[in-house]
Amino acid sequence: MSFEILNTPIFATIQDKGRFSYTSIGVTNSGVMDEFSYEMANRLLGNEDKSNTIEVAFSNVHFKVNSNTTLAITGALCEFFINDILKTTWQTYNVKAGDIIKVGKILEGVRVYISVKDGFKIKKEFGSNSTTIKENLGGLDGDKLKKGQVLPFNSYSQSHNTRLKKEFIPKFTNELELRVLLSYQDDSFQKVQIDKFFSSTYTITNEFNRMACKLRGEAISCDINGIISEGISFGAIQIPSNGQPIILLKDRQTIGGYPKIGSVLSIDCFKLSQCKPGCKIRFKPIEIVQAQKKLKEFYLSFN
Amino acid sequence: MEIKLASVDSLIIYFGNEINKNIALKVKNAYSSLLKSDIKGIIEVVPSYTSIFITYDIFKYSFDEIKNILKESILIKNTESLSQKEFVIDVYYGSEVGFDLEDISKKTNLSTDEIIAIHSQKLYDVYAIGFLPGFAYTASVNEKIAMPRLSSPRKVIPKGSVAIADTQTAVYPSSSPGGWNIIGRTTLELFDKKLDSLSPLSVGDKIRFNPISKDEFLSQGGVI
Repeated sequence: MSFEILNTPIFATIQDKGRFSYTSIGVTNSGVMDEFSYEMANRLLGNEDKSNTIEVAFSNVHFKVNSNTTLAITGALCEFFINDILKTTWQTYNVKAGDIIKVGKILEGVRVYISVKDGFKIKKEFGSNSTTIKENLGGLDGDKLKKGQVLPFNSYSQSHNTRLKKEFIPKFTNELELRVLLSYQDDSFQKVQIDKFFSSTYTITNEFNRMACKLRGEAISCDINGIISEGISFGAIQIPSNGQPIILLKDRQTIGGYPKIGSVLSIDCFKLSQCKPGCKIRFKPIEIVQAQKKLKEFYLSFN
Repeated sequence: MEIKLASVDSLIIYFGNEINKNIALKVKNAYSSLLKSDIKGIIEVVPSYTSIFITYDIFKYSFDEIKNILKESILIKNTESLSQKEFVIDVYYGSEVGFDLEDISKKTNLSTDEIIAIHSQKLYDVYAIGFLPGFAYTASVNEKIAMPRLSSPRKVIPKGSVAIADTQTAVYPSSSPGGWNIIGRTTLELFDKKLDSLSPLSVGDKIRFNPISKDEFLSQGGVI
């Protein structure tokens, strides 16, 4: 009643919706980077919306199936094999004991999600299975998945076949526009700087992980150098003194002291999480009422 | 009190713009009253030196609605105060573990004994918990031994290291990169997965550092 990991994945972790209400004690929210792919996997399987999943970045994960289940594979476009037969993604598969599952090369996008019917049966820490390596919390042992580890689940033998219609499968491109709510210290940026921020094209650097995405491009200057450390939102855009924006993501530090020009709308952070270093980023302003409407529509679309 | 937008589902309340006890007390009162008023749909409440960051359920409130609710509930209950625990943290201030003691001594023209005496004579306040679980931002250190952060951070600071940055002091609860000046080490566990709060410290607590000898440090399980 499990998956067994046959190789050493480069970076695969157990994630769920995230770990909430512990940021006051320094514990970050964590959780899946791309909520669209995650929610879609849950929907394909008929899982509850807090189910856990395997988030695979950087390809190449091999599992052995030890008991019948139905799995869903979503997220980045990748080479996906069941018993060495190439399969399409964004759909469910009924697998049985002895089957070998492989995620090979990632072709477009960055993160692949593999979920099973009713989720993996792993003890939660602080209300969540999400792995945050720097906090040694979540997953099987607070760390990324390793060769020989076993991911238990309850067997499921009914035939279950669903797939996402082609027109709903996201396209992963090398250009992305991120909608930004001006907020936090926006008053400390002069209009000419804000105009520059919204009219420039930035490039995603190699410094892009679950914690943050560093960009390179036109430097933005701020009237203040630092602020008294304060709580940081998902999507917050820090502008350190070198002027290069840093977008803070799921494993962000809970408190920080760099000025922030605003925050990227969370739906757009999910898209960002499928972008590779080198991708071109542009920013576009959005107002709070419209932003909340868009976010509500996003979550309601999975009901 | 000023409420500002932070993100699509979060906001930040500012109570001032400098680190001092008066503003910290306002934050403490507001934080306490927020926890007690138990407003449904509030997800995260993160107090810091001068602010409280809040995330909320946008299916329950618009930004304007939650702003008005917060204005009312915080103003009415501004006489509350947090319960305060007092902690004594045993610290071995030896040069083997206090990597920057000698450097601070040179920069301040104080002997290491004087630095230790100044650091350990004061009762400090915990202003914020963050960065990492169990990392307590504690202030204010006597200006005589206030030290700016290192020009470039160390890759690894050992767990339990006692540190100074400007007028703040803190203990690294686990090994991590960091740019604060290291003056000693404690065996006290500040990141404890067995505790519900993950850490014995919380905002509002008071801390005193108690100098101990190398032998005492080692007998407490200290590692050099």
